[in-house]
Amino acid sequence: MHNPPMIPRRGLFLVVAAAAALIGCGGTTDDRPAKWSFISATITEPSCATVNCHSEIAKRAGVDMHDRATGFDVMVNKGFADPAAPDDSPVIKLMNGQGARRMPPDMPLPDADILLIRNWIAAGATNN
Amino acid sequence: MRRLLLCLLVAGVGTFGFARGAAAYPQFQFSSGTNKCSQCHYSPAGGGLISSWGRSESGDTISMAGDGGFLHGAVTLPAWFAAGADLRLAVTRTDDGGDESPQGAWFPMQADAYLRFAFGDAFSLYVAAGARGETRPVDESAGSRLVGNLGDRFISREHYLMWRPSATGPYARVGRFYAPYGLRFVEHIYFVRRYAGYELYNETYTASGGYVADEWELHLSAFTPPPSSFPDALQSVGARESGAAGYFEYRLNGMAALAAQGRVGVGKEASRYQGGLVGKLWIEPAKLLFLGEADLIHQVVSAASYSQNQFVSYLGVSFFPVRGVMITPMFERFQENISVSTTGRNAGDLQINLFPYAHCEVVLFGRYMKVGQANQPAATLLMAQLHYYL
Repeated sequence: MHNPPMIPRRGLFLVVAAAAALIGCGGTTDDRPAKWSFISATITEPSCATVNCHSEIAKRAGVDMHDRATGFDVMVNKGFADPAAPDDSPVIKLMNGQGARRMPPDMPLPDADILLIRNWIAAGATNN
Repeated sequence: MRRLLLCLLVAGVGTFGFARGAAAYPQFQFSSGTNKCSQCHYSPAGGGLISSWGRSESGDTISMAGDGGFLHGAVTLPAWFAAGADLRLAVTRTDDGGDESPQGAWFPMQADAYLRFAFGDAFSLYVAAGARGETRPVDESAGSRLVGNLGDRFISREHYLMWRPSATGPYARVGRFYAPYGLRFVEHIYFVRRYAGYELYNETYTASGGYVADEWELHLSAFTPPPSSFPDALQSVGARESGAAGYFEYRLNGMAALAAQGRVGVGKEASRYQGGLVGKLWIEPAKLLFLGEADLIHQVVSAASYSQNQFVSYLGVSFFPVRGVMITPMFERFQENISVSTTGRNAGDLQINLFPYAHCEVVLFGRYMKVGQANQPAATLLMAQLHYYL
């Protein structure tokens, strides 16, 4: 009877876990499309349409961003996106926390995401 | 007795409040002497209502004192019936660099009740129901936070029928619950839950089957979101995806586990294809439990003719210096697009869980998060929770 080789196994688990948690970096070029179909699915729905905020069942402040159509309606028809002045659009100021509570309040967006939304607004804010 | 009264007071206050998921504490696997999640939970994958064994463990092993039984052991329920509840109250302070930061809030976080009915030795019906949270009430009054729109906030996140003839062996269940995947933390703000398809109230209608053995377990699931015709009380929040998930865990010597997992979620506008690894390691002499998870996600946004790869991970080590105390520093990372370095989020967290008396928990949590580029301001979150479970 002998003891199992615990140290090598422990070391293997630690290495696997540490490597798994720490990898991930990326390049500097942002080739993501400034399209509402992309922004809605990858940025606003997961970040804004959370359970207590702008989900279909919460509709905080009357704002529902749970899918592409409702989100587009909010952005354009409720005046959150202003193609004539993209940098001054209310949604951009909210996401930068300028003169208001920063949105989303629990998990700020990367500047790259805000720039992508700004570029979509500057391009006309269409439901593309 | 004073601690018990304090706990009951917290419960009374928390009963009016609300929200968060029926998940588990994977930190207690191995560290409490239990080999697998289903030893303490009725669910074969862990989470939700705890079994009589779990109640014993919660009093005798996890908490500093007290009886973990239903109503502190004052009532013995028949074998065919089990019940419980989770009540949480939270206080937070957030600072995200905005003009109105920092901000403070208190809110009822969770009020969920659980019922389980057993039919013979193999079949059971499980129902969890409560009220959605109100972290941002319509107005700042206590009444608005505690009972405002209470009727509109009723929700049943879990309800399922299960066939499970014995504690080990095959099982099958169908109904509403998360397809087993990942570390399945109770904390829904952890990146591996939030960004991997397990956001709060994102439970799906799921058919799941698997096998639980002493040294390994396998869970295979197919899922779909609640139909849009269902009432709000049965609706989900987050990505509406249909798909399948699998989780296989292999355990070693009651002190370590390695798991592989995969998930496919197909939505109307976007789909996700993801896979990952989970590692668990308990070092008994040092009272340290390492938990790690890493997932790669391939996201296809068909409407935009674009796809991207994402990465989400968790690495934490829980230290149990004395019975009733758990201290966990952790690191989290989420990269929205692996090809774009400025879409990353890194968070360093510290969580202290105190279990001064059976049924009672105090959670202290701090997060320091860097988002995007180096010159973006850091975001911090401080949170204290009072938790009572029935």
